[in-house]
Amino acid sequence: MARMTAPEEATDEALVLRAALGDNDAFDEITIRYQARVYRLACRLVGHDDAPDVVQEGFLSVYRNLASFRQESRFGTWLYRIVTNAALMHRRARARRPVESLDAFLPEFDATGSHSHTPPELQVAARADELLDRQVLAAEATAALDRLPDLYRSAFVLRDLEELSTAEVADVLGVEPATVRQRVHRARLMLRGYLGALAGVRS
Amino acid sequence: MTEVSCETGVELLMDYLEGVVPDDMRSILESHVTGCPKCAAFIASYLATPRILREATAATMPPELQQSLLAFLRAHRGDLPRKPD
Repeated sequence: MARMTAPEEATDEALVLRAALGDNDAFDEITIRYQARVYRLACRLVGHDDAPDVVQEGFLSVYRNLASFRQESRFGTWLYRIVTNAALMHRRARARRPVESLDAFLPEFDATGSHSHTPPELQVAARADELLDRQVLAAEATAALDRLPDLYRSAFVLRDLEELSTAEVADVLGVEPATVRQRVHRARLMLRGYLGALAGVRS
Repeated sequence: MTEVSCETGVELLMDYLEGVVPDDMRSILESHVTGCPKCAAFIASYLATPRILREATAATMPPELQQSLLAFLRAHRGDLPRKPD
């Protein structure tokens, strides 16, 4: 990787421009630079088995659309949009068996609007990573993401797992920031309840 | 002073954390949570949820997949065959 004469590393945007003009080495460099991130994103959006296909489809789509990249936007955001769309298409194309939703794991309140559970019960999800075996948690986490509605999954994955800002997620998904906040919030509530249940307590 | 229920607090939590609730509601929420151990416990688990899932789903791309991805893309671009790197 490190070259002896280390020239200034080309910016993403400069590489995209070169690739759009037919420089395939520049496209290889973009691929190498982003493949690990794209793979991780794909795993979170479609699971490990389907991630390699989505990574291939995503980069191929980037290649085919190089000419449409607008230099005023950030390449990372554009790439995330393409891969998120590829993941969504992939999920729709596959006849998945319906999975039970996570609605049952939303927080519960009594008639006065107070939490129905005790503080230790309410807090247990925060300790899910201490209480559960690491491999079990990894498998369950992937399964839980799979059970989220598509709209919530993409918002949650981009905002909370890939750690984009709310404004960036809004840009990637083409929705208002308020919509992102609503989807991410809903996903957090479901996943929090699910983690608590995994750790042995409904809350 | 106006009070809110836990349920309303939960509803507004994300907006609160992102700094988009009005100032007066902000202080109402803060005063509720200060006096509500249930909400304090709930918020701790709400905040931990993204971190736990982030760590549990941080997949590493296998090296063989990195190689096959480059080969796949080169084939689809119609590049001339290359010697292996």
